[in-house]
Amino acid sequence: MIWFENDGRDKDVVVSTRVRLARNLEDYPFVSRLDEPSRREIIGRLAAVYDGKNGYRQIDFAALPEQERRSYSERHLVSREFAEDTCPRSLFVSENDGVYVMTPEEDHVRIQCVMSGLELDEAYRRAAAADDLLDAGTRIAYSEKYGYLTHCPTNLGTGMRASVMLFLPALTRAGQMRSLQNQLSKIGLTVRGMGGEGTAADGCLYQISNQITLGVSEEETLKKLADVTAQIVKSERELRGKVTDDEKLARRDRCRRALGTLLYAEVLSSRELLALYADVRLGAAVGDVDTKAWAIDRMLFTSLPATLVTMAEKKPVSALERDKCRAENVRLALAAE
Amino acid sequence: MLCEKCGKNKATVFYRETVNGKTTSWSLCQDCAEVLEKKGDIKLDTDSFWSDPFADVFGGGLLQSFFGLPAARQIERGKKCTLCGATFDDLVREGKVGCPKCYEIFGDELEDSIRRIHGTSSHTGRVPSRLREGFDRKKKIAALEKDLKTAIREERFEDAAAMRDELKTLRDAGENA
Repeated sequence: MIWFENDGRDKDVVVSTRVRLARNLEDYPFVSRLDEPSRREIIGRLAAVYDGKNGYRQIDFAALPEQERRSYSERHLVSREFAEDTCPRSLFVSENDGVYVMTPEEDHVRIQCVMSGLELDEAYRRAAAADDLLDAGTRIAYSEKYGYLTHCPTNLGTGMRASVMLFLPALTRAGQMRSLQNQLSKIGLTVRGMGGEGTAADGCLYQISNQITLGVSEEETLKKLADVTAQIVKSERELRGKVTDDEKLARRDRCRRALGTLLYAEVLSSRELLALYADVRLGAAVGDVDTKAWAIDRMLFTSLPATLVTMAEKKPVSALERDKCRAENVRLALAAE
Repeated sequence: MLCEKCGKNKATVFYRETVNGKTTSWSLCQDCAEVLEKKGDIKLDTDSFWSDPFADVFGGGLLQSFFGLPAARQIERGKKCTLCGATFDDLVREGKVGCPKCYEIFGDELEDSIRRIHGTSSHTGRVPSRLREGFDRKKKIAALEKDLKTAIREERFEDAAAMRDELKTLRDAGENA
């Protein structure tokens, strides 16, 4: 099952957790200097590692239609770079574990585990298990000094990027995101708004990840990110609770109007959907409606443009048809909870 | 890497300025950068200032600045990687490293850039299985050596003898591996 089909820990604030490991094979140049035969050779070697016996299936990613490739990146299953590249490449998927192995990406291999809610240790454990398989079947480029050797020196060391996607409407509304960003940059963590701006229209979704990969162990990085996330979760919850009765009424009103629109709209743009998503998700977290947080996430992540087109039986052509299709999908997703 | 000004916080702001051909560079924490900017000592604009070195790296291009920053070490021109054939100039131009072997061949040249990015240049953490046994052994040896010194200092000679035997077994295993 894909991550957003599941409930998760601290789901009122934490949408998902992702752990990614960058790896390269010892005897090949990095991707920018890799010729096509070597590229295919690497894919072949990974196919022998991540086979059916180990619970993986191979997807010839370059052969997929563009919309389907983009859909993978919209749902945060692969990186945008991997979805956009058109060179030969494969994706190895273990759906049960939420592990996606991209080869080649910027590095020969990018192992990624995505899970619902806050699951840093478990996501790392699963990514590390995929790394063990790779390690048993190939020689991974590694130096005692620099750790795992990567195409870009920013990933040297553990090659690990761990991140959590957080839903922070109260902190956003309180204008705290900028200062949070400054504080976190001092301790080597980055905050990125999912839509870029950090306004309510972006769904109040932010991604926090580690910057440094060298000189800090995986466990230390995960612990730091977990501690910081726990603090942010606490402040977000406190702020959500610190509202006057009038504000509570206004919030409930916004949430229920948003849910009404989602349930009855005939056409929905993705921008409008994101804004409504934030209102309903916040209302669900504070008990204004019965809808579950994970069901609201599922509604959002199955209604993004490329995913919508990929899943639709009758492919929408115009923007209006797509918005109509989105409204239908939203209704179905909310009804299916 | 620590802030060059206060020496306390981690440097997250990297500033470079060239006046009359003379280049000055600073690695600062956010607080000190703001103080210096207020005092007018540094001018923060998009050409000479970046608060998040990684954002630009992902967008491409910044690493050129990293590699291109005045390096303390002498760069040996014309040296080529034996696996991928890249020169150090290729690495600077592409903003990325050519192959795993490049890290060995251009170790000296890359050292400063890597320190600048991570604040350190030595790995802690996961190790591939083929090296795991050796690493565990090295770790055990280092710990035992420390314990041995303590035992001798505390005149626990029986314990020390046992530790010495264990150390010998571990070192022999390392030599035969």
